[in-house]
Amino acid sequence: MEFEEQKHGEVVVGLVSGRVDGLAAPDLEKNLNDIVERGDKDVLLDCSGMDYISSAGLRALLVGARACQQSGGNLALCALKPECKKVLEVSGFFAFLESFDTREDALAAEQDWAGRGA
Amino acid sequence: MLTLVEEIVLLMIDDKGSFIPVRETAVDYSIAGATLMGLAFANRIDTDAEHLKVIDSSETGSALLDRALTLITSSEESKLPSAWIEVLATDEARSMREMALDSLIERGILERSGSTFIWVFERVRHPIVGDREERAVKRRIADVLLSDGIPEQRDAALICLADACGILPAIFSVQEIKKARPRIEQLRKLDLIGREMNGAIEEIERSIIIAMSHMPH
Repeated sequence: MEFEEQKHGEVVVGLVSGRVDGLAAPDLEKNLNDIVERGDKDVLLDCSGMDYISSAGLRALLVGARACQQSGGNLALCALKPECKKVLEVSGFFAFLESFDTREDALAAEQDWAGRGA
Repeated sequence: MLTLVEEIVLLMIDDKGSFIPVRETAVDYSIAGATLMGLAFANRIDTDAEHLKVIDSSETGSALLDRALTLITSSEESKLPSAWIEVLATDEARSMREMALDSLIERGILERSGSTFIWVFERVRHPIVGDREERAVKRRIADVLLSDGIPEQRDAALICLADACGILPAIFSVQEIKKARPRIEQLRKLDLIGREMNGAIEEIERSIIIAMSHMPH
């Protein structure tokens, strides 16, 4: 898995690519926690390059989303491939995480999802 | 920290040290699910709908989890997560309950009274002597059910397991459960092992209902 960060205003965009499985999940979790620990609150994960997500990957997303929420921010996803979107859908993750079709859609709707944490 | 299996076993014991009446099959499947979830949370296994893979075969420090990990590691054929639940929801689940009870006694949370030669789950009582852990587990469940925030996966798993083996009515009133049902359903879906476990229990219960409906009156 590769993780690349970009800053768009107050939002940190994390570009995730490759397989998010049991071996990669701890890295994703650490990347998300590092973002929150240094004071950034709102994270948009661009999943356009993510090919696969396992249960461990889902757990890392949940941990990251919880960390964002507890710091007063939020975690949103965008550009999920259909197979990954289905995994998140079946697991009921969209009850906790907002998802957008494209990065542009997510950033345009920033005021609707960012800064909505605890 | 207690394992999920130990937490579920603890929740099955009432204030007098007796086991609350629960469906035996559902308990076996819940123990099997709790074991696999415990291995997943310890980063020893990973799953998707079609695979259960060992990603780290080193010991976890829990005899109960290590027993299951050894079983999975030594298997020559790859199995679906649902197939591993079936494998563990047998005598293995009974052995794991015993191991969980022994561990809780060792930690000073339970105390065994009565003959150890009688099947523990039927006759021997285990009065709760240190209720700090029991109260903490119940508080975690209540906190997650009463909020709408993002839960810790472990707490969501615990609620999924408690609901699957029917022990929530021993913790909450009927009204409280009814009110929390949408949240419970939301949390039950979060974990793949939990979904497979619930599917297996529902399948068995459907079979029982069908079998009973065909019995002569």
